[in-house]
Amino acid sequence: MGDKSTPLLAVLQLLRKYNLKGTEDILRKEANLGDVEYENLDLPEVELANILTAHHTESDPYSYEFAYDSLKKFVENSLDVYKYELSTLLYPVFVHMYLILILYDHNEHAIKILEKFGPEQDEYYQDDLKRLCAVKNKDQVKGNELAEIYSSNKFQVQLSRDASTQLKRYLHEQKSSPIIINIIKNHIQIDVCDGPGRSHAQVKSTLGGLLGEASRNENRTKVYYGLLKEPDLQILPAQIEDEEEAEETPDKPKKKKAKKDNIFMKKPKSDPNAPPNDRIPLPDLKENDKVEKGKALREAAKRVQLGPECLPSICFYTLLNSGHTAICADICDDSTLLAVGFNNSTIKVWTLTTVRLRGMKSADKLQDIDREAVRLWSLQCWTCIVVYRGHVWPVWDTRWSPHGHYFASGGHDRIARLWATDHHQPLRIFAGHLSDIDCIQFHPNSNYIATGSSDRTVRLWDCLTGTQVRIMTGHRSTPFTLAFSACGRWLASGGGAGEIQIWDLSSGLPSAAIPPASNSPIHALAFSRDGTILASGSLDSTIKLWDFAIISDENINEENGNAAPTQKEDKFLLRSYATKNSPIKSLHFTRRNLLLAVGSYDGSV
Amino acid sequence: MSDSELGYGSSFTVDSVKVIAESVGIGNLVDDAAKELADDVSYRLKIIVQDAMKFMQHSKRQKLSITDIDHALKVQNIEPQYGFIQPDSLPFRFASGGGRELHFIEEKDIDLSEILSAPPPKIPLDVSLRAHWLSVDGVQPTVPENPPPLSKEAQKLESVDPITKLSKPANKDAAGKPVCGKAARLKASESVHVKQLATHELSVEQQLYYKEITEACVGSDEGRRAEALQSLACDPGLHEMLPRMCTFISEGVKVNVVQNNLALLIYLMRMVKAMLDNQSLYLEKYLHELIPSVSTCIVARQLCMRPEVDNHWALRDFAARLMAQICKTFNTSTNNLQTRVTRLFSKALQCPSQTNNESGPSMVPSMKESEKTPLASLYGAVQGLAELGPEVVKVFILSRVRWLGERVEGALSGIGGADRLAAGNLKHQLLKVLAPVVRAHRQPPDLPDDYKREYGYLGPSLQQMVSKLRSSPTGGNAGGAVAVVTCTPPLLPSPSPAPGPSLAPAPAPAPSPSPASVTIQHTSQAHAKTIESVASRNVVITSSAPQSPAPSTPPPQKFVIVSSQQKNQVFTNTQPASSAGHIVMHSSQPTIVRSQNSVVVTSGPAGAAPPQKVVVVGVPPPAHQPHQPHQPHQPTAGVSQAPVSVVAKPVFARSGSAQQPPPELDDLSHLA
Repeated sequence: MGDKSTPLLAVLQLLRKYNLKGTEDILRKEANLGDVEYENLDLPEVELANILTAHHTESDPYSYEFAYDSLKKFVENSLDVYKYELSTLLYPVFVHMYLILILYDHNEHAIKILEKFGPEQDEYYQDDLKRLCAVKNKDQVKGNELAEIYSSNKFQVQLSRDASTQLKRYLHEQKSSPIIINIIKNHIQIDVCDGPGRSHAQVKSTLGGLLGEASRNENRTKVYYGLLKEPDLQILPAQIEDEEEAEETPDKPKKKKAKKDNIFMKKPKSDPNAPPNDRIPLPDLKENDKVEKGKALREAAKRVQLGPECLPSICFYTLLNSGHTAICADICDDSTLLAVGFNNSTIKVWTLTTVRLRGMKSADKLQDIDREAVRLWSLQCWTCIVVYRGHVWPVWDTRWSPHGHYFASGGHDRIARLWATDHHQPLRIFAGHLSDIDCIQFHPNSNYIATGSSDRTVRLWDCLTGTQVRIMTGHRSTPFTLAFSACGRWLASGGGAGEIQIWDLSSGLPSAAIPPASNSPIHALAFSRDGTILASGSLDSTIKLWDFAIISDENINEENGNAAPTQKEDKFLLRSYATKNSPIKSLHFTRRNLLLAVGSYDGSV
Repeated sequence: MSDSELGYGSSFTVDSVKVIAESVGIGNLVDDAAKELADDVSYRLKIIVQDAMKFMQHSKRQKLSITDIDHALKVQNIEPQYGFIQPDSLPFRFASGGGRELHFIEEKDIDLSEILSAPPPKIPLDVSLRAHWLSVDGVQPTVPENPPPLSKEAQKLESVDPITKLSKPANKDAAGKPVCGKAARLKASESVHVKQLATHELSVEQQLYYKEITEACVGSDEGRRAEALQSLACDPGLHEMLPRMCTFISEGVKVNVVQNNLALLIYLMRMVKAMLDNQSLYLEKYLHELIPSVSTCIVARQLCMRPEVDNHWALRDFAARLMAQICKTFNTSTNNLQTRVTRLFSKALQCPSQTNNESGPSMVPSMKESEKTPLASLYGAVQGLAELGPEVVKVFILSRVRWLGERVEGALSGIGGADRLAAGNLKHQLLKVLAPVVRAHRQPPDLPDDYKREYGYLGPSLQQMVSKLRSSPTGGNAGGAVAVVTCTPPLLPSPSPAPGPSLAPAPAPAPSPSPASVTIQHTSQAHAKTIESVASRNVVITSSAPQSPAPSTPPPQKFVIVSSQQKNQVFTNTQPASSAGHIVMHSSQPTIVRSQNSVVVTSGPAGAAPPQKVVVVGVPPPAHQPHQPHQPHQPTAGVSQAPVSVVAKPVFARSGSAQQPPPELDDLSHLA
């Protein structure tokens, strides 16, 4: 296909699309196109759009550099009120200039513009730029993941009304060189909102997504972030008393009981934010489930109240001799079992109590590395019971619902799936992420699933409707771990560059950003059971404790105003604990608020 | 942003594609084709690496491994590359030349038959789980599993550049004491920034620890002492207690030198040794206390009640080794530690008479005894210099050997028993130290006359020693009797030959050459014939070293040095197993206490006032029963015949003569 005929073919395809037979015939005759080419008319939408929109500027690759420069000057010279909002336009314009130049075979110019303006783009875009710069000619654009994401989606930019007026005026002046106008028209979605322009910090807090900021409209849906009402466990106390009498002095049970009653009292009888209990059908509690629940409550009664003055004890489990073989670890809710996944697709389970494990059959696949399947393992008989197929590419993360029965998985195929143990097919498919889903987490009330993806967004999905109810941008790097606070309102996510973001699910806005202490990715996050402390564990072998009470208090106080997320790391950081070269794999608060951590000793460092 | 610039541009060059093409047999690749290929291959490789990064990140690693690449290939539906599995990261080698840099992997030819015949590789250790407390109520306990609260680098920085500590705010990262109470509240309110007083508090636990450790270190229970020293040598997080420890040692040495309490001095030196061995401590800030203490133990005039009997030589040797270790570790161009220490020792050799001596030997007899540096101090100084290396020996000892020889000669011909013993030791030590240096220094024809002329009194002996050295092949294990050479085992000072009451060296393949020679002179001669190596004293300040000694050294010998005297003082250096007498000692009260010694040998001249007895017992290590101390009177015969058996020989000292006024602290013991 020659250079010349490409745009012609594109026009032909467009004519056919709109069913303009006559024109199509005339054009065909006039252009002298062969039948073969005509039959094979199958340009991808991406390219079609590119070709058609940018066609008339094709001839002048030199003007791009000039156009970008002029846009930059406009942004720099505009008032401070608009400056920061407008500056968010620069990156998408730059990226699309590069892609258009590549598409039209002006490779040298593309590389030149990349080298000239690339380094001055924001830091968090550099990784993307590096990936994008692998694309060096137009054949590669088609197959490239990132280039396709850019050209088939619109970049989201939020502008205040005044700023957008400024922009319009500027574009009007630039009539003669329509490059930027075209790019903005075709590839950038400008989300105009009322109100004053945002400050630098405000703008910064939500930037960083692969495709810009989340638009506000997408986060309008109400999220029932409250907790479910605890099922009535009236049968239990008697049973517990029996047990306790057996093991403790007779006067103690009464105390315990009183406390437990308090717990029942404290449970929000009618939390306005809580979803109805039957919003998601949950399986009835079986007898032994109730026993378990009772135990959990009893444990919770012995919980230590944590706070800045009363830090938790940390018990650290070191995996020795594991080298790089240990990949992931998890501790079950009642803190009795520790499972570690290895890179040779085995899972090892350790008991953390004195109860001995039963003989274990050798497991041979690991969820994280497993191709296209999720396996369900039984801890009763230590065998793989079910293999759930559906994912096309590696599954990065799976998670159980806190109420059992449901579980969710997400992976390289950019799709998160909701499964139930009694179906062999997924119940819901959550599609929308632009890149790999790296982590997944169930909301404590089982009604929502949060996913974190390489497109640097965190999304919240409704299990009932299967729709996306929140999209949260502001991460500068891929989030690798997610954690919901005990109250269900806050979501914490830890990124690959070491930053931690706290999101308010009621608004979908970032409520705090904890800047990275080091460059190492955060691999584990855990909220204490009373929600006062957030613990993070990272690859740099440290566990950090953050004062979550301050974070949440501040946000509630500032709820009315347009709160700028606080960035004072020192204020939140309570303590940092270093281990001996043992990167943290997992963190877990027991019901009594003892922090358990798992790491594997790495002697080679 | 240099990285990104690099990242934007990098791709295969046409040249490398051509080279690769040649390697697979395509000789003449056209430039255009090569360019096409280079672009395409670079693109594809980048995509694969990008995908592999995802696998790396999900494996929670920061190093890309070959398996990641394999996984990425599989995701792209490409057959992975087989045969490139490497458990570790690829060992890239780097070479540069002609302005070009090259990274390559070294590929070795592997002989299959070798692999087949080789014993199967060790089974890798299974993954195991170990739990410890990373934090207890918010405080990180300083257990070995946790990193030291203040890293050695930080301690070093602090001692080199104290300003850094002030400029840094009290960092929470240090995880020491919780920031709570008043300080925290003050900090929270951020009213006025008041410079904190430099209070140095120890927590209750630390105070307890300090008490336990110091008591155990100087106490009577050898088992506890071993544990305490082990703790000092291994535990991280002792740095907060360092000032106290060092003061304890320093004060302890001062008091016990005055009291002539050899045992306690030994214990204190072992504490120094343990602290030096601790990987997490940086002692530079405390050298001003440690060095005087250690040098006191090297050159002090008198270290024990009865210099003729007690083996204070071992302590001097041990302390000298410590000093050498300190110099090696902490010498910098700013503190000039080694120079200062060397000067200290060489001054000892340079007593007021020294300048006269150089003019001629005739002056010596006219010197008054009191003006001379005591022989023991000379011995210490020689030993201290010897540990600092042959060059130091050459410059500072060899040049004074003539004078030293005269001192020795004078003392040997004199009547004082103690002096003769000391002189014998000094002579032996000098010969041992000098012989290798002289051998390296002089050309072969070793004529006794030359030696005599050049080195004076010691000349002939030295000549014998040197020629002996020259004749032995590598000079290593000629005699086979004493083979312990260095002080490699961490807590085990190397033995040195016992004068007089010699012991059968434990691992003796050859019959011991002079197991129990009676006269001192004879001993050193005998040793001189057989021994080349530096260290050979058999009495050891042994510590039941928790670490196993280096494989090359023989298993540690156990020695019991028992003395019983009027006050019934017993000090022991022994493994717990040998259950010897024990004493409780307090640093302030040097004397002692109980002795339930099964080992003490009661023999001695009945007539002498309070009998002083010393039994030196060597216990050869392997599977040996606690020795029977009741046969100390068959000295030599049993020894050479049965090297395993216990040798014990009493030495009777002239009692009563030890009542000298306690010597003052040696002036030399303090650095300027």
